[in-house]
Amino acid sequence: MRLLVGGGATVALAAVALLMSVEPRFPPAWRSPIHAAEQAERDLPALGLLWGKVRGWTRVGTGWTVLWQPSHGMWLVSAWVPDGPGEIKWRIDAAPWLPGVRLSRAAAEVLTAASGGVEQARERLGRRDWQVGESRLLGALPAGGELPSARSLRRPVILAVLVGLLLAGAVSRHLVPGVPSRGWRYSVFSVVLLLVATLPELPALAPMGFQPGVRPWVAELAFGTAAVLLLGALVYASQRFPATSGSPPVAWLPLALAVGTLAGRFEPAIWLVNVAGLTLRLPVLVGLAVLAGWLAGLAGNGLRELLRFSALARVVGLSLLGVAGVGFGGTWTGVTLAVVSAAAVERGWGTWMGMGVVWGWFFGSLWVVARWEAALWSVLVFVLLGCAVVAVAHLARADRSATSESPALP
Amino acid sequence: MFRVRYALQVLLAAASLVAAMALVKSRGVPGGVQAGALARAAFARLGYEPLGEPTATFEGDQELAWALEHARPGPAGVKLARGQGGAVRWRVMFPGGGEAQVTVDGVIWSLRRPVPSDPGPALFPSMARSRVEAAVAEAIPDPSAWGLVRAQSWREGGHIWQRGWYVGGAGELPSGWRRELELEMVGSTVVSWRRTVHPLGTDLGVVTGRMAELQLLRRPALLGLGILVIGVFVAAAESVAYRESTAISRGAAYGLVTAVAGSFASETLVAAPIQGVVAAVVIALLPVWTELPLTRLRFGPAAGVALAAVTLAGRAYTLGAGGWTPVTPPVPGDIGPIRLLADSWAPALVEEPLLRGALPALAAPIVGWWGAALLAAPVGALLHPLPTVPLAASFALELVLQVGLAVVARFAGVGGAVLARGTCETLVRRASFPVGSDWDQMALIGVIFGAVLLLWPRRRE
Repeated sequence: MRLLVGGGATVALAAVALLMSVEPRFPPAWRSPIHAAEQAERDLPALGLLWGKVRGWTRVGTGWTVLWQPSHGMWLVSAWVPDGPGEIKWRIDAAPWLPGVRLSRAAAEVLTAASGGVEQARERLGRRDWQVGESRLLGALPAGGELPSARSLRRPVILAVLVGLLLAGAVSRHLVPGVPSRGWRYSVFSVVLLLVATLPELPALAPMGFQPGVRPWVAELAFGTAAVLLLGALVYASQRFPATSGSPPVAWLPLALAVGTLAGRFEPAIWLVNVAGLTLRLPVLVGLAVLAGWLAGLAGNGLRELLRFSALARVVGLSLLGVAGVGFGGTWTGVTLAVVSAAAVERGWGTWMGMGVVWGWFFGSLWVVARWEAALWSVLVFVLLGCAVVAVAHLARADRSATSESPALP
Repeated sequence: MFRVRYALQVLLAAASLVAAMALVKSRGVPGGVQAGALARAAFARLGYEPLGEPTATFEGDQELAWALEHARPGPAGVKLARGQGGAVRWRVMFPGGGEAQVTVDGVIWSLRRPVPSDPGPALFPSMARSRVEAAVAEAIPDPSAWGLVRAQSWREGGHIWQRGWYVGGAGELPSGWRRELELEMVGSTVVSWRRTVHPLGTDLGVVTGRMAELQLLRRPALLGLGILVIGVFVAAAESVAYRESTAISRGAAYGLVTAVAGSFASETLVAAPIQGVVAAVVIALLPVWTELPLTRLRFGPAAGVALAAVTLAGRAYTLGAGGWTPVTPPVPGDIGPIRLLADSWAPALVEEPLLRGALPALAAPIVGWWGAALLAAPVGALLHPLPTVPLAASFALELVLQVGLAVVARFAGVGGAVLARGTCETLVRRASFPVGSDWDQMALIGVIFGAVLLLWPRRRE
């Protein structure tokens, strides 16, 4: 019965969270980065050089910045492709030592907008200059225009507070131990394995790792090594600082999901739209959400223990952090609310609440910013998957409780 | 039994001293003493007698030297880097005026004398040409291969100045390289010339590309160390909360030494004081981590000598197997003996307590001591590799060193690993510094310290 009530409340709150009119803070993406890349490959001139494979992408303003690099790594081709009609901006960055940093006639014509007016080339060390009428086009790269750049989303103060709370949570779980939850340990371990399995796709989310002169496999190896170290550290932390065991707070989770969804709609995590561009977006989203939820639970634990000395401090502290998160958190609003939610409930529920808010935050953010069909379906499956897992966990718990309460056999 | 063990220690001390001296002997950058005399003779040929004793500083173009070695494998490439390639050289400055660059093998690379008060009659460009060509013939070994590509003249300070640019093709350099010479004359006196080398892009690119790749691969290792430092600080908070016995004064002293060493080193992972604080916390926590092996300092330096020999042999093997690894050692920013000491010991003081102390202590409950030590090896291997072809050889060499240090840490503890790493680094880095007894002594400090510890009479157990 409680499950039905919880499920109904989830649906009702989710409907409210979704139907509420919100002015979008970021222009939504109406197509995937792969489609944007295909358009650039179709519409831009070849520039006289091999582009290589698509290595990564970033959402910038109303378009995608897509990056190509050939396997020898000597140059990068990047293009900003707007969602709608508009000029595609491109740029080539090449290794400075490259003798092949030589503009082709086609590239020179594009740069000078002089079709057929480009005359004789003059070969020089590391570059090729082109004579165009009375003026000379110096062939040193980078060539092309400046691409639009994404505005910084950093909130150093909020970030510092969250890191401090994580440390406090780690220490508090050691000093004030509870009954460790095997389920959360397995969950973290499982999603880390899931993310490791998706690692070959993930370097696309870090295009800044690809550099001219550095072969792409090396950049991917660096990313993979860093990811493995980070994920290994998280597995270690989940074993060493385990979440406290507790049943899923079915009555509270709809609220957490709705709060997260609203936070995502008001202040979407814009970086999630890059994740939505992956082919394996669903497992990656699930993995990231579980890890972020577990971390929110850990930080919430720290906050809870720090404010434990008086009831008033707890109310004031949680309210202040909640208000600060909503007011100044920017794209960190969802995380801040997840931490506050995890700290506000009893200890065994903290990780569940953190997870609920994060799940809603991911859902709300993607609903707002990733508007192409495949991404929307994945988002829907993502939220239904979360609800299903909670239902299964609750039923399993209820079943265990019923078994343990049955009278002992004589 | 005790006597036998002591005799073995004496033998170990003697062997490590002999091996270390063999590794240090005749290694180092030559030519520092001769550079002054060669520069003086070159100035004399221009009609200028420099006054006073010159100061010589070592400088080099790292990428150029390695590109030459890669383009011309074997001793020929090394010879070019030290000679006609002009990649490693001495800058000689006379106190009374006059400055020259002389390559390690004695080629005058550039020269600038003070402008004389009476530089002689001003010459028309056509008349100046024969004089310039005579000067060019003195500056380069094959003047017939060089040709004037551009000339410039202007009037300044009451004199006519002439400047000519000569291009000399590849010459002895690998195919596709280019040599240039710029020569200046005031009145009828040649006052300066300067040689430059333009490498073929692909030769330079292999080296700079590998260096950029290694720089990128260093980032995950730094991330790993960062995560480890977080773990250390959490462990420190726990030990304070549980009032565990820590070695605070020992940690503070160690941190101070680390910070001082870092402040003299040319490169550190993070700012020297931060390194000092991290090292201090790790050392202070060592008594808490009771599962770590006991420290036996006396075996560290001997192990360091063995590791240095293995490292140098590994590089020679890579070259012998058809791969490429730099022969010209990395050019230090400063050549003072203290720099050799700091550059070698600063990484040992910081990285060994973290990789051989903190990481095994924190991860051993989950993956065991050896598991944790082997986890530390790839992290350490990514921190300081040299460029090689293939790139994997670089990591293989570093991995051998790191696994060796893990073995040392197992049998001689964290302290033994610090001494082994410091000794190994000084012996390997010795080649980057000038020949001379000052640098030899600095390189042997760790080994001598180890020998003293090995020979120190101990109580019977």
